[in-house]
Amino acid sequence: MTSGTPVPTCRICGCEYRPVALAPGERAHCLRCDTVLAHGSRLGPDAGLAFTVAGLLLAAPAALLPFITAGKLGDTQTGRVFTGVGGLWRNGMHLLAVWVLLCGTVVPAALLTVLAGLLLPARFGRAPFQPRLLLRAARALSDWAMPEVQVLAVLVALMKLGNLVDLTIGPGFWFYCAATFACLFAWRSFEFGSAAGISGLARSRPSPP
Amino acid sequence: MKLLLPSLRSGASSNAAALALAAAAMLVPANVLPVLDTRVSGVSRTDTIFSGIVELWRQGLWAIALIVFLASMLIPALKLAGLGWLLLATRPGARPDARRLTRVYLALDFIGRWSMLDVFLVGFLAGLVRFGALTTVEPRSGIAAFAAAVVLTVLATKVFDPRVLWRTPEPPGAAPVPS
Repeated sequence: MTSGTPVPTCRICGCEYRPVALAPGERAHCLRCDTVLAHGSRLGPDAGLAFTVAGLLLAAPAALLPFITAGKLGDTQTGRVFTGVGGLWRNGMHLLAVWVLLCGTVVPAALLTVLAGLLLPARFGRAPFQPRLLLRAARALSDWAMPEVQVLAVLVALMKLGNLVDLTIGPGFWFYCAATFACLFAWRSFEFGSAAGISGLARSRPSPP
Repeated sequence: MKLLLPSLRSGASSNAAALALAAAAMLVPANVLPVLDTRVSGVSRTDTIFSGIVELWRQGLWAIALIVFLASMLIPALKLAGLGWLLLATRPGARPDARRLTRVYLALDFIGRWSMLDVFLVGFLAGLVRFGALTTVEPRSGIAAFAAAVVLTVLATKVFDPRVLWRTPEPPGAAPVPS
């Protein structure tokens, strides 16, 4: 967390604190409920932005390149990030397919885009466009972005299918894993670091006459 | 330190209770109905969540059986039990152990998403395993009910307002007297 950034309101008990500077590795806990409010990043103040940009760059190859190639008796099938969506859609489970598409790919990508919208202008000393709205969007999206669960599901599928078919892991899966970790670290860096600064910026905007 | 106590979301606890009850109701078809049809070299089998875990265990895939058991059976049960505990402990007149219940709330918030594992898994298997008519995997209606239960439990946790745990109880006689 950067020096002088205000610590946010505790989301658990509602206490509000004055600004505090945190050293790298230091954590700020709520005095009332002991919830972690903020921590000083060991990777510097731009860690959130760096992870956000990395996640966005990794998202394209993760979406386009093959995840897994499965072969049986000369027949091969290639699985990609949208394979699960297609499997559910073809079997008539359209709503569930859309839900899997949202939680596994669309919402994480949207979260990274919103974080970029908040962090990039702040990095260059400018106020983000509609910071209050973007903050609310980021918090709502973070609840439903589940790429890490999809990574675990693919790993479980690999172990389950190991005895049944010949499997080859493709580069798309590694890109997706990397994008997932970038997304998780970007959100964590933002939630416990930059969010307070942006929130303070949003609050300090002059109200229209 | 400044306390922001008056802005508790109205009706949050009753909304969370309604969502938790709906999730509990959806867990019944999720566990009774089949979630997956598997055809391997022409031999078919239909699995519920539980029979799928037993089959994984029988095949010696203990680690996967344990992961699927945790994500698909234990976590939904823990989430419902935890939500029930939070809602009972914060009913009017109760004096909740705020610190302990905060830890319960944070744990529920963290584990909620991992139940989606089975939904992603079934979808991925159905999409990948399509080798003619002999080797296929197809999702069945139980997985839709399970996904609904997962979404409802996550929503119930999100709707629950944890600030209610830290609401200072009013001293006896402090409540306004209706005229």
